[in-house]
Amino acid sequence: MSVHIIFRAEKQSREPQPSLIMSLPDDIIVDIVARVPICYYPTVSLVSKSLRSLVASPELYTRRSLLGFAEHCLYVILYNYNTKNYRFYILRRKVHSNCLVIIRSFPCMPCSASFLTVGSKIYVVDSSSSLSIVCRSHTVQPISHIPMCVYNKVAGIIDGKIYVIGDWWWKRVTVFDTETQMWEPKMIKPDMELGNTLLIEGVVIEDKIYMRDFEDSFRCWSVVKGLEKFLLKMTSSWWSQTVSYGGKLALFFCKDGDARKIWCAEIALERRQGGEILGKVQWCDVVIDDGIFRMVKCLAVTV
Amino acid sequence: MSKSEKKIVLKSLDNEAFEVEKAVALQSQTIWVMCEDKCVGNEIPLENVTGQILAKVIDYCKKHAVVDGDGDESSEELKNWDTEFTKNMDQSTLFNMILAANYLNIKSLLNLTCQAVADKTKTIDEFHTFLNIENNFTPEEEAQICQENLWAFDD
Repeated sequence: MSVHIIFRAEKQSREPQPSLIMSLPDDIIVDIVARVPICYYPTVSLVSKSLRSLVASPELYTRRSLLGFAEHCLYVILYNYNTKNYRFYILRRKVHSNCLVIIRSFPCMPCSASFLTVGSKIYVVDSSSSLSIVCRSHTVQPISHIPMCVYNKVAGIIDGKIYVIGDWWWKRVTVFDTETQMWEPKMIKPDMELGNTLLIEGVVIEDKIYMRDFEDSFRCWSVVKGLEKFLLKMTSSWWSQTVSYGGKLALFFCKDGDARKIWCAEIALERRQGGEILGKVQWCDVVIDDGIFRMVKCLAVTV
Repeated sequence: MSKSEKKIVLKSLDNEAFEVEKAVALQSQTIWVMCEDKCVGNEIPLENVTGQILAKVIDYCKKHAVVDGDGDESSEELKNWDTEFTKNMDQSTLFNMILAANYLNIKSLLNLTCQAVADKTKTIDEFHTFLNIENNFTPEEEAQICQENLWAFDD
């Protein structure tokens, strides 16, 4: 439905206020809302029906990108040892503290699912059921079943296609096209030994999925400098997860063996002349402390 | 060019006249088109803008104009000036400034004022007043949206 028409209908029906006799043109309302940080969009949805449909419209996000206001949202899947559920959480950014908040409108996730981001969507791929999550509107849609039953798998994205490599009598690769929202009928049998998919994670660099060790364009790993002091603090963490977005890294970890608290640090990266990479901790907070959790995956989505 | 040709008179809705340098006024694409058309003399009537608002628009254009090499303000200074310019504007002024910037087609002023509204608009009430939009939800609809967005509201 066109946002334009909705605004028009609404404006005609209301009484003009004395101080604001004229109304803002629709295009300007889109412009203003595009400049409001995304964390306020649930509030914007409550303003009026027209703004609710605007917040869910692609037009608004195109404008955000044009204005350079595209934002990165961090999602995390946590396993709760008490409820024995896998749930989605979102990092809610506030001025003085940042915290992970459960998204109750999303269902519990299957334990063996792979989570992938394509544009502003998250895909949850599993043998039992697969989903796509539209992060702009927080709506969940089922996608068709994966054509092969896989019990160990790795998945990666290349050019908008999800490649799932898994065991099905022998190793197979199956492909989901996010454009057509269909699984491609032909399965590929790779002519190589893939190793144990239970123990490794796939990493996509350029147009290849790497599964064991990999090289970047510099053909080696680089040390991020400037974080020595910070890293000392987290040496007691027995796990950590990292996700990169917009020239930054988010690093999740625990501290001093305290499993009840998950910490998160945002690190800005700067590539200096000569290829040296400098990291600077922007903030470091306890983001959740109300249960015992295991972090399954963290995802950065551009909305 | 004679001195008089470099000046232009802008006349507001309430008949207030402002004499300004042409380079200042021509930041408005609308005025630029009017001058190009030569259908107006040296006096340009602006029927959608009051004198009070036009005065502010001219202040902005003067600050941002490059007149005879005077416009050598650093971008940092200009940015601070812009912030101060919109900082204490009340809701109604800001609203009318947006309409004026839109009518006069001054892109940078429109960006500045839209950003100022976005910065000042954080609560539902502020959205209602700033955007002049009424709540047309039923209580049931409102409760449903709150339910869908629990992650954003509960503390």
